[in-house]
Amino acid sequence: MKRFRCILFYCALCGIFAAMVFPLIWMLLLSLTGNSSQFTMANFIYIFSANHFGLYLANSVVVALIVTAGNMLFCLMCGYALARRKIIADRFWFYTVMIVLMVPAHIVIIPIYILMTKCGLYDSYAALILPWLVSPIGIFLVRQYITTLPQSLEEAARIDGAGELTILFRIIMPLCRPALAILAVQVFMTSWNNFLFPFILTSSEQYRTLPVALALLLGYQSIDWHQLMAGSTVAVIPVIAVFLIFQKQIISGITAGAFKQ
Amino acid sequence: MRYPGKGRGWLLFSPWILTFLLFWLFPLIYSFVLSLTDYRLLSTETHSLGLANYGKLLSDPDFQSALKNSFIFVFGTIPFTTVISLGMALLLNNRFRGRSFFRAAYFMPSITAMVVMALIFSNLYSRGGYLYLLAQMAGLNPPANGFLLSQKTALPAIMAMDIWIASGYYMLLFLGGLQSIPLELYEASRIAGASRWQQFRYVTLPLLKPMTLFIIVINSIKSFQVFTEIFVMTKGGPLNATLTGVYFVYENGLRRFDFGYASAAAYIVFVIIAVASALQFKFLKTEWTA
Repeated sequence: MKRFRCILFYCALCGIFAAMVFPLIWMLLLSLTGNSSQFTMANFIYIFSANHFGLYLANSVVVALIVTAGNMLFCLMCGYALARRKIIADRFWFYTVMIVLMVPAHIVIIPIYILMTKCGLYDSYAALILPWLVSPIGIFLVRQYITTLPQSLEEAARIDGAGELTILFRIIMPLCRPALAILAVQVFMTSWNNFLFPFILTSSEQYRTLPVALALLLGYQSIDWHQLMAGSTVAVIPVIAVFLIFQKQIISGITAGAFKQ
Repeated sequence: MRYPGKGRGWLLFSPWILTFLLFWLFPLIYSFVLSLTDYRLLSTETHSLGLANYGKLLSDPDFQSALKNSFIFVFGTIPFTTVISLGMALLLNNRFRGRSFFRAAYFMPSITAMVVMALIFSNLYSRGGYLYLLAQMAGLNPPANGFLLSQKTALPAIMAMDIWIASGYYMLLFLGGLQSIPLELYEASRIAGASRWQQFRYVTLPLLKPMTLFIIVINSIKSFQVFTEIFVMTKGGPLNATLTGVYFVYENGLRRFDFGYASAAAYIVFVIIAVASALQFKFLKTEWTA
């Protein structure tokens, strides 16, 4: 009976595994084959030479890196202000987060589109980057982490005459490295996969990121699935690589975030 | 000891204040203002319409079917996603070798870009695609042009994909909830002679309630906002069969550039989301404390 149960358990486990991983494997298979069923890299070569996937990839990388760097800096500043200067910002913070959680993106996208157009920022890197430079989840992560740090170090530095910025960047930042790592990974993945805002705030190829390029490719009449899946593979690989390397941190970050909310 | 003045604290906090004001609060207010006008991209003059846009929307058959589809989407996916993700979490909440491997694999679809997932499934659902052939082999007689080009199957096909993608994410949250249940409770109930089912029914389920509530609320907020998969897979078609509330906003606001009308639609969807979350909180809370 026990043995039967064990077999059943592993069957369920592997069945779900197959169902979950199958579409990604399917994507990989299609990307590596052509009209003949032999394995080939031709699709990848094609999308980078005949299509502008090099440009899209570069755009995705640049935007994701700048957004990640911005978040590490700004979330650190905001998280520190919240953790140590409680009276000032706590109320404001609470209400703003409630609003951000409740307000759906589709309601702000039209005004942001008009705003960007009026400022001459429509269809530029600024449009891709500016709205995302600091994220509530990132601020939250940093704040939680700083509140666990002892205040004695900062106080000692303050007695020695260190300014607020010195304390923040010389003492707090190095201590926050674990929190900043989780933050960086999450922000990078979110930015990399982002579709709605880049899609609506840009129009020319010059600023097109990978998800936008892929979504627009399907619109054409003749679809070459093999090339499309090669492009998808390029878009998926960095995220899966980052996920597999930082799996533990990502998962703990997600569950922690959910519990605190 | 020298403490920094209040001004410094605000200065450090200013990135968030600016982002919030520019990209959340201002748009939120501005889109309400827009919804009361007939502002268009190239219009030379703008008129105030009062609530006329809202009235027009409620009698717009496109908007009606968009709302209907949004509700079908939310009510059709959430029960499945919740039960499946709970099942997966229960499965993974055992001690066995390779646990973190399976957990990572189950979570993989959730970290993959929605655009990519939608592309893969467009292929799987298309005529001659893998799932299409599978359905054929099972004798299910799939629609001639693939699942996404038939009015009957397009929306259910996208819903099925969403259940499949989201399950891994909510599994992770359930797993966190399960692991926070103290083991002593299980031991105590075992000593008291409870069967496994009784343990699940009287220990696990009640203690998972807060997490389940959280998951249902978050999931319905997200499901009311489906856009990417609709855009990639069907563009609202065939014949409005997959037109959802948010897709309607996009179609009117950013394709026809009828900003006022689209903003009014966006506000109606927003109010529905807010009311639905509030009701869920109230209903599920009283249900559970009773």
